[in-house]
Amino acid sequence: MPLRIRVRNAETGATVDMELEAENSVEEIIEGAAGYWEKDPGAYVLRCGKRLLRGQQTVADAKIMDNDQLELIPDPEGG
Amino acid sequence: MSGTIQVGHDEDRFDRSRRIDLLDMDSINDARCLVVGAGALGNEVVKNLVLSGFRELTLVDMDHVVLSNLNRCIFFKEIDSRGRRMKAEVVAERGMGLDPDVSIEPRVCRIEDLPEDEWREHDIVLGCLDNVMARLHSNSHSYHSKIPYIDGGTYGMSGKVQVVLPPETPCFQCGLNRSHYRVLEKRFSCTGSDVTFFEPKMPAEITTTSVVAAIQTREAIKIACDLQERCIKNVFHYNGMTGLSEELELSIDPECPLH
Repeated sequence: MPLRIRVRNAETGATVDMELEAENSVEEIIEGAAGYWEKDPGAYVLRCGKRLLRGQQTVADAKIMDNDQLELIPDPEGG
Repeated sequence: MSGTIQVGHDEDRFDRSRRIDLLDMDSINDARCLVVGAGALGNEVVKNLVLSGFRELTLVDMDHVVLSNLNRCIFFKEIDSRGRRMKAEVVAERGMGLDPDVSIEPRVCRIEDLPEDEWREHDIVLGCLDNVMARLHSNSHSYHSKIPYIDGGTYGMSGKVQVVLPPETPCFQCGLNRSHYRVLEKRFSCTGSDVTFFEPKMPAEITTTSVVAAIQTREAIKIACDLQERCIKNVFHYNGMTGLSEELELSIDPECPLH
């Protein structure tokens, strides 16, 4: 059964709702959200509460729950 | 009636630092730091390390000063950009000017060209880099040499610091996903006949650089003082627009080749 989550854009505060299956990966969420907001090609990470989610984890592995709010954060590359 | 007035030891450069009980100035003086990158973070980190009492630094950078560095680099001047002076040499020269007891050895080369045995001559590595490839290199070489690696990064008004304490904590590579590797591919795109290097111009200003470099330096101080248990164990994120900073948990990636 699909679960519904909300992803927040850390840069703008905008949100987008997504429907996911347990086998979807964190990377797919990142790419889906970044594509929706037409973000510049760049490195992004996804957080769920205090946890940074690893890209290869599935929704089930990452223990993402129905109605969770995740946040898409640009991963700072500059020095 | 007589009494004693306590006079401050103002002839000791580190008198005020010694008043912080947790700081072991001898250990800080003895710790050898490898600073990778002499750009904005490298400038701030070297300044902070020297003022904190670190005396032996190696500074690696392959690049020369340009005018757009001057909005956030304390050691660079316009004359350096006109003369195309090498960043590592300028920062080393002016960093040593802050304290005559400090030795900063500039190495004008890519970090990938630093000989393997030189990594092991250091106690702490500070990553002040502007690309994922050099970070991966610094992360893996530090990890294999069992040297703590403190990585800093900035993007506009946000920044992050990750402290890697081999083998206990996740490493830099553990936190990467496909979006990072896409950035790598874009930077080193092969057109068939040759490889083109794409270097994006990233937004950057001094206040975020200062915050991130300060956190990096403070973590180096903790490591030098054997206070690793108080170090950032995960990833510290800073959002300069909201003023919020927090430590986010990252787990070790079981697929990561370094673990």
